[in-house]
Amino acid sequence: MKDIERELFGGLSRRHFLRSGTAATLAALAGGAPSLAWGAEQVKLKPKADSLILLWMAGGMAQTETWDPKRYTPYRPGLPSSEVLSTFPSIDTVVDNIKLSQGLENMAKVMDRGTLIRSHRVGDLGFILHSRHQFHWHTGYPPPQSVAAPHMGAVIAKTLGPRNPDIPAFIDIGQDLEIGGESDGLKAFHTAGFLGSEYGPFFISDPKDAVASTRPSEYLGSARFESRWKRYKDLVAAGPVGKYGSGYQRESLARSMENAHRLLSSPSAKAFDLSLEPEKSFQRYNTGRFGQGCLMARRLVEAGARFVEVTTEYIPFRFWDTHENGHTRAVGMKQAVDAPISQLILDLEERGLLDRTLVVIASEFGRDMLVEGKPGLTVQNQVKQPAIMTEIKHYGMHRHFTEAGSVLVFGGGFKKGFLYGKTADERPCKIVENPVTIDDLHATIYTALGIAPDTSYVVERRPFYVTNNGKGKPVDALFA
Amino acid sequence: MLRLAKFCLLCSIAGCLASAADSDFTNVIHPVLESCVKCHGGDQPQAGLNLQTREGMLKGGKSGPAIVPGMSQNSLLVKHITGELEPRMPMGGAPLTAQQISVIRAWIDDKAPWPDMSAKGSGGWQSPIPPRTPPVPPGSESNPIDRFLRVYFQSRNVTPAGVVSDAVFARRAYYDVIGLPPTAAELRRFLNDSDSGKRDRLIRTLLDDSPAYAENWISFWNDLLRNDQGVNYAGTRESITDWLRPALQTNMPYDRMVSELVNPEPKSPAEGFLVGVNWRGSVSASQTPFMQAAQNTAQVFLGINLKCASCHDSFINRYRLKDSYGLAAMFSEESNLELVRCDAKTGKFTGPEFLYPELGSVPKDASLAERRAAAARFFTSPQNGRFARTIVNRYWQRLIGRGLVESVDEMDNRPWEEDLLDWLASDFVAHNYDLKHLLAQIMSSRAYQMPSIPGVPDHTAKYVFDGPQVRRLTAEQFADTVSVLTGEWRILQSSEKGVSRAEFSREWQLKSTALTRAMGRPIRDQVFTTRNDEATTLEALELMNGETLEHSLRRGARRLLNELPPAPPNRFDSGVIRKASRQFDIDISGVKQLWLLMEDGGSYDPAQTQAGWINVKLTGPKGTVDLASLPSVVKFVKKNLTIDNKKTPGVMTVALPTTLTYNIDGMGFTRLRGAVGMDDSGRRNDIETAVRFFIFTEQPDRDELVRVTGEPPVPPPTHVKDANGLIDRLFLEAFAREPNAREREIAVEFLLPEGSGGKIQTSGLEDLLWSLLMHPELQYIH
Repeated sequence: MKDIERELFGGLSRRHFLRSGTAATLAALAGGAPSLAWGAEQVKLKPKADSLILLWMAGGMAQTETWDPKRYTPYRPGLPSSEVLSTFPSIDTVVDNIKLSQGLENMAKVMDRGTLIRSHRVGDLGFILHSRHQFHWHTGYPPPQSVAAPHMGAVIAKTLGPRNPDIPAFIDIGQDLEIGGESDGLKAFHTAGFLGSEYGPFFISDPKDAVASTRPSEYLGSARFESRWKRYKDLVAAGPVGKYGSGYQRESLARSMENAHRLLSSPSAKAFDLSLEPEKSFQRYNTGRFGQGCLMARRLVEAGARFVEVTTEYIPFRFWDTHENGHTRAVGMKQAVDAPISQLILDLEERGLLDRTLVVIASEFGRDMLVEGKPGLTVQNQVKQPAIMTEIKHYGMHRHFTEAGSVLVFGGGFKKGFLYGKTADERPCKIVENPVTIDDLHATIYTALGIAPDTSYVVERRPFYVTNNGKGKPVDALFA
Repeated sequence: MLRLAKFCLLCSIAGCLASAADSDFTNVIHPVLESCVKCHGGDQPQAGLNLQTREGMLKGGKSGPAIVPGMSQNSLLVKHITGELEPRMPMGGAPLTAQQISVIRAWIDDKAPWPDMSAKGSGGWQSPIPPRTPPVPPGSESNPIDRFLRVYFQSRNVTPAGVVSDAVFARRAYYDVIGLPPTAAELRRFLNDSDSGKRDRLIRTLLDDSPAYAENWISFWNDLLRNDQGVNYAGTRESITDWLRPALQTNMPYDRMVSELVNPEPKSPAEGFLVGVNWRGSVSASQTPFMQAAQNTAQVFLGINLKCASCHDSFINRYRLKDSYGLAAMFSEESNLELVRCDAKTGKFTGPEFLYPELGSVPKDASLAERRAAAARFFTSPQNGRFARTIVNRYWQRLIGRGLVESVDEMDNRPWEEDLLDWLASDFVAHNYDLKHLLAQIMSSRAYQMPSIPGVPDHTAKYVFDGPQVRRLTAEQFADTVSVLTGEWRILQSSEKGVSRAEFSREWQLKSTALTRAMGRPIRDQVFTTRNDEATTLEALELMNGETLEHSLRRGARRLLNELPPAPPNRFDSGVIRKASRQFDIDISGVKQLWLLMEDGGSYDPAQTQAGWINVKLTGPKGTVDLASLPSVVKFVKKNLTIDNKKTPGVMTVALPTTLTYNIDGMGFTRLRGAVGMDDSGRRNDIETAVRFFIFTEQPDRDELVRVTGEPPVPPPTHVKDANGLIDRLFLEAFAREPNAREREIAVEFLLPEGSGGKIQTSGLEDLLWSLLMHPELQYIH
């Protein structure tokens, strides 16, 4: 046995071990690639928020049916599509100059807590592909890219680290990646890219299954999980690796296993267990998976989460991706999001967490009944919309509109009861005031979190910026 | 002197001042200057001041030199960016931050070092283009690599270690050639072989196993060539697997491989490489298919990074925008391309030009076919020494853990042993670009067979070779190792033109999973030339708690203990159908249960699929019964669908995927007749539905719905009742050694816990397998 030990680990003598430094330095080094290009000084913006909850309205939420209502035209057979801007009447909110679309009555009550941006302009990427626009929104860069761009959650995880070491820094709730045709596109940006998978997303596709992801599996059970762990450590200690020390690779393995074990046995993991939430509170959120995801986001932020994304889920032609029957489906989608989002805001406020938590509600683009893509440019139409409607299923925002969308921001030092940006009241409902690009929106979000928009990481000897080429500028007018 | 000062301090210790200053320039200084060169750059810079080069800064503009090296306080640049002098710069833009200004000050005070953007590497060394065959130093070593290294060691007063044991060597060799560990039987046979030439013989035997070799190395090439089976971004990307796999199996010479990739025959599946990764919609000028082709061919085949130079003249190397467009013009429909700088047209054009004009030229008006053919000639030209050096270096890095040149994508950097690199490259060419020969050449060297040393995370530190580095198993190798240990292989089910097939498969053939992605299998949107060998928390979570591994281990343990019942055959398999219907008529005499499966066959949107069971009837002595009238636990909805353009009422529809089960025990039915089908009326723009139906008369094995044909990649382990025999085999295959006394004790505790009465416990075996798989000795190649 001894001989083989020497064979195996002869090269791993003390000489090597000493030369490479102590285990602690090695661990630090190992976590260090890729390194911050500008050095830690750059991150010294004073953060206004410690956590970010991103509520993703996947599929292209129609802004004129939600946060930016226009003239309402009720349905009637024979109605020309060109006459319709909104298919719902607008409703008053607690803020005088903000009207919302009918169906958002709960949100109407909390609009005095946040900022509504009606002038979000996403990229103009030609022939529409949802996953591509989502990639752009989540990374700041439209694909394809010559290096693997990291998701915003990974950038935040890498730059700020976890708030609580037992809660993954980047949690992604509600998106199944195996959705058929656009799976590849979704996988391409649900990643930490070149930052390395240490900073990648911790996935929870269905909140009700989250406990299973953060506890030893049901099949294994806690007792067996622990005895297996103990024996495993005994086994490693009994072998030559345990006797002869280690290099940074094996250090990283040991560290990762310890981290995972700690997470799976941590009391903090209770945050993932919705059955621990009082029934009354649970029901306030329970409009389905998205609502439960909002509740989980609140519990996670209470427990010390850094970045949580909750999505209504992107599946082609479903949820907010209303290619037909848009009006009826918007009713359902608003029911799914209205109560849980408003409850999340109220709960965070009640717990004194809203000031230090940023809640962002966004989508990859807006919608229109007739204009596809960007007005004035010819983008291939994907949806047949009759000039004259004959059935209720023709009534709705069925085309993809990239010229204007709405974004809501609550907490985290943003103004309260504030309306920013304006769109035209006649088609095409373009931005007419204060456009906010993805770059600038991201710069604003990053700034709120204390991350300078031109923070960069080195990849292939060049800087890669957290906002596109470091050019994003925070919209100062949005901060209180 | 903020960041710079710190950097220099650190680096003078490490002795790599120059490269750190370069990296500071690129990453700290240049980004700040970029806001200046928008106006003070190009052909007609504002005020005659060109801040794109150091010379331009020293020459200055109308008011004099922009910088005085060593004296930031006297530098006009500083005076204007601070606003001390009007106008404050950047004019019309936001003022620089205090931080940015102090970095510029520090840089000027440090004498404004400007990295050499020419081809020169450190110490004035320049990467040569022509090949070179240095004489092999005299000596007794049979492998020339070792003769070069003897000189190398002598000049550094290093006494190299000996070679590793046969067992350690065998484990390395198996993983490096076929990506699997030796089985216990193979390892024992090798260890018992007393022939002195057995190591070289093993290398040869492994390389001769062409299918297995191809199944390991295909992942390396997939990473390089951005190939991923079944990942197509809604049809805009083409797989090259049908070309690549045979190319590896037949050991196609490397120069021919590259010729076929850059100049594919019409309709050759190799075309996918030039097609690149395309997403629907418009793309940035730097990411058009031909610019991707320029970036990828330069990076993969020549170790040149043109990514920066695809937008603007690079500031990390000597390549210019024009170089990228010149190469791109060999792959574009248009032979004369307009240079686009950062998505702004420049009005300048370039025709096809290779990166090394000395290798030849191609007429501006040449057809695309001629230009591609020329590209193939230039890349693979015998005068292009860079071509062979680049791949030889990649293989060295793959086998030794660290390249002769680092990074492997920057072949302008100086190798740590130039003669060795050049000789290896020319030997590779002399052997007709034979990739297997290259593997054998390196693996048979003492250099490869020395004891391993721990890898280092920082490849910029000074490096002295004293053995191969510890390397991590790839995600694919890890998954395949699980299969070798358990005998449980994943099954690839396919159905083409009505023919159903199921075969044992190795991991690379399947789409990536959460587990393999966490373990480092890349999303191949970009070229990947190395994988991270560091373990991560997310990956550990998958390994500790993920469904994929748990499932494999549960099945694997039962398989090893002969507790896994054979998978029952299906009685009906519709194959993947995309429209219309299929009929079935099955003898069900004596059948007790029916299992009706509706599975997704790769639908674009499974949730919108409208499909189901049509008019299913059971016939027995008492007549015919409608299946829908029998009690069912699982709910279905009867719908009227349009199938084969006919209204079809009463179709039993379920969500995809759903299994309907029926208990028909004792009912005396003898026949099951009916059809399956899908609605083809509502097929909209890009909804593609694909469904597969099965009928079973016993509980199906979901991992094996179709009878598997063929043999598993490695013969299945025999079932063992004896705990010690099992432990020996597992240790030999996991670690290439037997357990020590304490390890055996622990293994026995796993398998035969108190109260087991000497019978191996399935759960204990699962846990032992898990512990071996998590073991650093397994996850790394030592």
